[in-house]
Amino acid sequence: MRPILLQGHERALTQIRYSRDGDLLFSTAKDQHICAWYAHNGERLGTYHGHQGALWTVDPNPQTTLIASGAADNTVRLWNIQTGKCLKVWDFDTAVKRVEFNEDGSKLLAVTEQRMGFLGTIVVLDVNQDVDGEQNGEKVLTIQCDESKATVAGWSYLSKYIVAGHENGSVSQYDAKSGEQLDNVQVHDMDIASQVTDLQWSADRTYFITASKDKTAKLINAENLVVLKTYVADTPLNSAVITPRKEFVILGGGQAAMDVTTTSTRQGKFEARFYHKIFEEEIGRVRGHFGPLNTVAADPTGKGYASGGEDGYVRVHQFDKGYFDFSYEVERQAKQQQLQQ
Amino acid sequence: MSKTANRDWADDEDLDDTVAATTGLPPNTSTTNKDGTKTIITYSLNEDGKKVKTSRRIRFTVHKEVVNPRVAERKQWTKFGLSAKDGPGPAADTTSVGENIIFRPSTNWRKDAKEEKTEAGSMKDKLKDKKVKCRICNGEHFTARCPFKDTMAPVGEEGGAADVSTGGADAPEGPGGLGAVKGSYVPPHMRNGGGASAAGDRMGGGKFERDDLATLRVTNVSEMAEEQELRDMFERFGRVTRVFLAKDRETGMAKGFAFISYQERTDAAKACEKMDGYGFKHLILRVEFAKKAAS
Repeated sequence: MRPILLQGHERALTQIRYSRDGDLLFSTAKDQHICAWYAHNGERLGTYHGHQGALWTVDPNPQTTLIASGAADNTVRLWNIQTGKCLKVWDFDTAVKRVEFNEDGSKLLAVTEQRMGFLGTIVVLDVNQDVDGEQNGEKVLTIQCDESKATVAGWSYLSKYIVAGHENGSVSQYDAKSGEQLDNVQVHDMDIASQVTDLQWSADRTYFITASKDKTAKLINAENLVVLKTYVADTPLNSAVITPRKEFVILGGGQAAMDVTTTSTRQGKFEARFYHKIFEEEIGRVRGHFGPLNTVAADPTGKGYASGGEDGYVRVHQFDKGYFDFSYEVERQAKQQQLQQ
Repeated sequence: MSKTANRDWADDEDLDDTVAATTGLPPNTSTTNKDGTKTIITYSLNEDGKKVKTSRRIRFTVHKEVVNPRVAERKQWTKFGLSAKDGPGPAADTTSVGENIIFRPSTNWRKDAKEEKTEAGSMKDKLKDKKVKCRICNGEHFTARCPFKDTMAPVGEEGGAADVSTGGADAPEGPGGLGAVKGSYVPPHMRNGGGASAAGDRMGGGKFERDDLATLRVTNVSEMAEEQELRDMFERFGRVTRVFLAKDRETGMAKGFAFISYQERTDAAKACEKMDGYGFKHLILRVEFAKKAAS
């Protein structure tokens, strides 16, 4: 496969998201604009300007009409995807590290940083899905994280729960309506630095994958926070995603950015790692970045994936035949048995 | 001829119509062939003032794709922001295409990657102390410079010749390659049965556990060949687990031989039969089973 390199940012990438149909790609970096790209050929659709600080996060709504973004300028902004116009600005006390739309796009959650005497919070906002309509400025729900600040969060199936990953490596489950904490499980190692760096959902949002600085990624059931699978890597992880169509997960990570210049690229382990979702076994790596991978995203159609690195590049990959052909012997046997019946 | 309308970059050097009129170049022609291709003949003058006729055969293929109407609509959106001034299609300053990455999921990818590395490494070691050898008198000079060139026939015609062309290829297979040919020159490091002194060079050659049963050796491969092309050609016969095309470290050109490993020996046998003598890039491929490493 020949990756497409996108050079729309001057600084390290922070998040990449595909639109629901897999045709558009949104990227944010520590510079102050969001880029929208066509995923099939890497053409840039446009850029969204307005933020005054490093952008941490972006998310398109399921209808692909709006995107939300969160930045270090303490705001969440809502944009019209087609025109690049900013529709709404929500102000917060601290930087916004993560935003995510729920399944129907009617609600938006934002994770705020713990800083300057303010506790980390998860805030839920109502979103008017009409592009031309008036947006409500009110914060519907605020969840405070007293123990350890939330670093990532997302909506479970049917917007029933809000699941958050914390700085101490634990994952908690909140009731999405009342904001009450239902459960908190220490999934990642507590003794060492084990911040949860990413949390991405399966297609049906019944389970999710977390990536952590403790060099592991875990597949977790959203209903009861039971760890289903563990993927062990040899480097701190920044991002993890579940691939549709094939039963794989992709992990991205690498040595911390501050140590990068002192080691060679080969040592840095700046590769996207593919693991089999069920067998937890590593099945391959894709090289290319000059720095740690900060974010990976999978095309919802299963045809490709994109990764964004500390080096400021986005690399969009379209899988070729060998990827789709690969299956374990037991998988092949199972398929044959199914055919015979 | 509406030359200005469909000019492409390749024609940039062409002279204008006015110049063509004065220099008396024949007009450009474009004909459609029976098989659907188009032949375009253009004339130009080169630096020495000589007439150059360029014929190009072009086939147009229409690639149709059915996409979701919403996706199709989004493709028509006008660009905005920093891209507002970009024309249709990817802009060169933001989008580029990276080098080809071969990514094949495999349960033993770690071993595969390591093997490729040692193979390349051992080859380099092998060639480092490889001496120039004359095919006629076995002296240490090129065959063309041999003083006996006109008077003697080459010694061990088949054995010697094959040895030179595939010497490098045999190297990773094991010590058998060179030593096995009877009566020919044995380089110093291979004497005494390729003993202890040579062991270090081969980077654990004894530890090779590759399944040679389903590995083909392809020789007489064009210099322009790419690993992917070989893979595509050989994949028709079955699942290919590994393709190794020897390349020159400096120039990046293929060295003329490759190894193709199949998962199944039956596939390998089929491919061997079908691909031996196949014409590829003006050369006739020679396909045979890789020699089993003699220990």
